[in-house]
Amino acid sequence: MSVFTVDEVKKTFTNGEVQEQVLKGVNLSLKQGEITALVGASGSGKSTILTIAAGLQPASGGVIHFDGKNMTNMSQEEIRKIRATEFGFIFQSSHLVPFLTVEEQLVLMLDVSGTKMKKKEQKEEVEKILKLVGMDHRKDAYPASLSGGEKQRVAISRAIIHKPKMLFADEPTASLDSKRSKEVMMLIRDLTKTLHITTLMVTHEEEMLPYADHVVTMKDGLILEGA
Amino acid sequence: MKIAWKEIKKSKSRFIILGSIVFLVSLLTFIISGLANGLSQDNAALIKDMPEGQFYMDEDADETYNLSKINEDTQDKVLKDNKDAAALSIQMGFVNDADDKQQSVAFVTSTDSDLFESVGEGEIILDESLKEKGIKVGDTLTNNQFSDDFTVKGFVDQKKFSHSPVAYINMENYKEMYRVNEMQLLFVPDQDKAQTIDGLQAFSNKDFLDTIPSYSAEQLSLNMIVWFLVVISGMLFGIFFYMMNVQKIGLYGILKAVGVKTSYLFKMMWSQMILITLIALVFSVALSQGFAMFAPEGMPFHLTIETTVQLSVVFVIIGFIGATLSGIQIKKVEPLQAIQQGEV
Ligand SMILES: Nc1ncnc2c1ncn2[C@@H]1O[C@H](COP(=O)(O)OP(=O)(O)O)[C@@H](O)[C@H]1O
Ligand SMILES: [Mg+2]
Repeated sequence: MSVFTVDEVKKTFTNGEVQEQVLKGVNLSLKQGEITALVGASGSGKSTILTIAAGLQPASGGVIHFDGKNMTNMSQEEIRKIRATEFGFIFQSSHLVPFLTVEEQLVLMLDVSGTKMKKKEQKEEVEKILKLVGMDHRKDAYPASLSGGEKQRVAISRAIIHKPKMLFADEPTASLDSKRSKEVMMLIRDLTKTLHITTLMVTHEEEMLPYADHVVTMKDGLILEGA
Repeated sequence: MKIAWKEIKKSKSRFIILGSIVFLVSLLTFIISGLANGLSQDNAALIKDMPEGQFYMDEDADETYNLSKINEDTQDKVLKDNKDAAALSIQMGFVNDADDKQQSVAFVTSTDSDLFESVGEGEIILDESLKEKGIKVGDTLTNNQFSDDFTVKGFVDQKKFSHSPVAYINMENYKEMYRVNEMQLLFVPDQDKAQTIDGLQAFSNKDFLDTIPSYSAEQLSLNMIVWFLVVISGMLFGIFFYMMNVQKIGLYGILKAVGVKTSYLFKMMWSQMILITLIALVFSVALSQGFAMFAPEGMPFHLTIETTVQLSVVFVIIGFIGATLSGIQIKKVEPLQAIQQGEV
């Protein structure tokens, strides 16, 4: 069953006089609990479709359905709420809040997603998720004192702590070496499988493809083959 | 708003700089406001210390008390109708002390009234500042327009007019010195609304103060400085928060991407602004009050708690406006901007 569908999504960027159609009618159908990898040459429109699907920018045309609801008709505030409660994000860089400790970042995320929890429960939840990503020993550290791989683990725990239905990841391993990349991919796979999270992930690394359930290739704003 | 506090702790130097600027500007504002007030006290304590009421002067005097002459019949009638009312005159002049040293004074005379000193003929009561000039009770003072001598009968606290010490004299002596029979002004205390009296123009205490040319000019320029400082501090707030916000656009974008509300980011900025302002104000209020206590003798400095509190409230409001205006960019930040920018 598809929890997330993208139908004929188009995107045109206007730069002054020049109009560039980056997406020319993209179709995607993501099944619950599965990882879909989006591959393709640089500039083919992968990040653009991912961010549109994640509600981070509007499409120029087409329809997106999440959980049976048409996201293209929603107000900014409705989309923000969905992002806060139902979506998780992992980006190329970790984008952690520099002045919050690892634990505080995660508590903030719990607050933002509106999970009603007591302080103590929040801390327990954080502890649990940090154990999962193997970062519980650094919960009082600030981002500046973490290595790249550690930061990305924290970013992953931030993306899933509020138990989202969807996870969007744009080249989550791009800043890591090969060994770290595999660890992180394994982690993403384990977590999304245990928590039944539906994942859309952009990658350009061949090595990462075995971790995905489906591989979709993009070229010049169109899907070539796959799902 | 723990997150706001966490950021302050992590970027101490930035917030300390902002706090110091607020501290310095507010301190300067308090000091200038204290001087403005002090000078106004020095200029017109005689009038400022009077109860609220109405001053009346001759319609034809062109709002210049010096040119005013109250008709004696009108005066009698007003004084009969209002038992606390008084007729008075003020003239700038000089007295010469025993060593023939000239002291500039403001001669004040009035009909019998609790608001003014009552002095017998040939007597004079002076503002205490003349004590410092070596004048004592019992001294004899002269004036070249006065045929007789004045004997100093006593001193009063803080009675100044036009930056000169007040010298109360008897009405008969005054009439002789200035060769007039009429008084310049009528004052009716505790009167909120002016009566219409034929041939007279009414002034509230404040309006009357403004007819004194040196007073309004002086207050106008000092108050201008005070308000400029207030506006400048508002702009400083705006600029400072603007710069901090620009540096944090990436952070704001990422927080928005994960679903943080814009209002949450504003609240974060407001709490920081209010906290920094309050701390800075505590220091500048304490220091300016300390200055008020230890200001050198003879420096006209008068800063009331009320004025300080009022100005402090204005500072918080103006800081709030400045920060909010600069925060409009927070509203404009697109989540994507941050993600495409790379590491925050
Ligand atoms: N905000 C934007 N404004 C204008 N052009 C854009 C914008 N974002 C992306 N593009 C263009 O769209 C094309 C696809 O970009 P992107 O989706 O990032 O590709 P990919 O992630 O596959 O490398 C590129 O040519 C890029 O220059
Ligand atoms: Mg990309």
